[in-house]
Amino acid sequence: MKMFSGLITGVRMINQKYSKPQIEMTLLTKICLFGLRVYLFTLVGLMIYKFIETIK
Amino acid sequence: MYFLYKLFHQFRKTSKAFRMFLAIAGPGIIVMVADNDAGGITTYTVTGAKYGFHLLWFLIILGPVAYFVQEMTVRLGAVTKRGHAEAIFHAFGSFWGWFSLLDLVFTDWLTMITEFIGMTAAMSIFGIPPWITIIGCWLMMGTMITTGRYWTWEKIALIFCLVNLIYIPAAFMVHPSVSDIIYNSFIPHLPPGGFTNDLFFLLMANVGTTIAPWMIFFQQSTVVDKGLKEKDIRFGKVDTAFGSFLTVIVAVFLIIVCGKLLLGVPVESAAEATIKIMPTNNYIGTMFAIGLFDAGFLGAICISLASSWAFGEVFGWAHSLNNKIKEAPWFYAYYFFDLLLAGVVVMIPKAPLVLITLFVQVIATTLLPAALVFLILLLNDKKTMGNYRNTLFENVTNIGIVFAIIVMSTLYGVSTIFPHLFQ
Repeated sequence: MKMFSGLITGVRMINQKYSKPQIEMTLLTKICLFGLRVYLFTLVGLMIYKFIETIK
Repeated sequence: MYFLYKLFHQFRKTSKAFRMFLAIAGPGIIVMVADNDAGGITTYTVTGAKYGFHLLWFLIILGPVAYFVQEMTVRLGAVTKRGHAEAIFHAFGSFWGWFSLLDLVFTDWLTMITEFIGMTAAMSIFGIPPWITIIGCWLMMGTMITTGRYWTWEKIALIFCLVNLIYIPAAFMVHPSVSDIIYNSFIPHLPPGGFTNDLFFLLMANVGTTIAPWMIFFQQSTVVDKGLKEKDIRFGKVDTAFGSFLTVIVAVFLIIVCGKLLLGVPVESAAEATIKIMPTNNYIGTMFAIGLFDAGFLGAICISLASSWAFGEVFGWAHSLNNKIKEAPWFYAYYFFDLLLAGVVVMIPKAPLVLITLFVQVIATTLLPAALVFLILLLNDKKTMGNYRNTLFENVTNIGIVFAIIVMSTLYGVSTIFPHLFQ
């Protein structure tokens, strides 16, 4: 439990440390990057589906 | 007399540059040769057995592709003195940083499993049970990382890189047709049967085994841990170029062996290929098994370090191989945890290990554009990179690589939903 709360504290400190990004991205860039991530994860999801189908 | 003096002076200058290069060389060679990991050996084996020499041209194209991607990490590491994970957090903030870090952890864990699959399969050929191989590997890797410093680790890793070249003499031993090799290496064409789902899957797997997210994180962290400076960048580039040459050479020679000995033979893995080769070519079969174990081991020691470095950078732990265990406990703890988690999966009864190996390569390819986009953005930031920013040619090349991978991944995704589209 102590280790878990230590981890949470560590994550909070990291988020605070890097709260101000050095490279300012425009809103469009952020949307495109997020969209790319979601798209790629969708493709990975399809591959995992195919993997499961192949095993069956 | 003046001519002799000039010749002697040039010789001293060149030899000094060569000695400098030998001192700097390491990260590029190791990351590229480790790129031919157990998953890579399996992918090339299946490629050679299924399509003979017909895809050699594709492998040769992947060499420069790997160079252009990895060379960026040399510049970024030498200029920023930060590992890739820390560089993303610093430049883009914690949201994108966590995304990238979790991406890395996921793909690294999957790839680590494939390394243990390769090592256990290779040792099984010699009658060694998987659990002994896994425990033995844990001990070897643990000893390697906890004794000595970065330089020690690097030199041992380079020895394993040398062993990885074992497929080169094997290819000469099978006496392949040189004219066939030359034709298939330099004339892009589709193999007999045309463009099918199977071909597509293997092309994706080949891309995924040549450029992987862990390589970006690994090479940048080694550049930092080794202490490379901006003045060392040109040697780092040569190191990377030489490494990419080696990775292509090993892949090509391995495909030549399989294309010559196993064409048309149904083969699902490198271990299966070794078993089929052994009865008629005992020496080549043994070289195959040694090469497969070496590939898995080399991949495992690099990938686990990539993750440990990344976590250490982000969480602010001491995270250098130059630190002893007491000085960097979390760094080493994560390293051993990673090894343990991957090894345990391999011991699950009836796990579809071969299928996992190939699918992991494809998944790694699919997630690669996300890592590459951040790398390109970082390399274009004037404040971060100064005079070492990407040139127009580098941007066009790398953006082209990102675009090509996205297109390939999309088409593969489409083929998953509509399986008859490419048949």
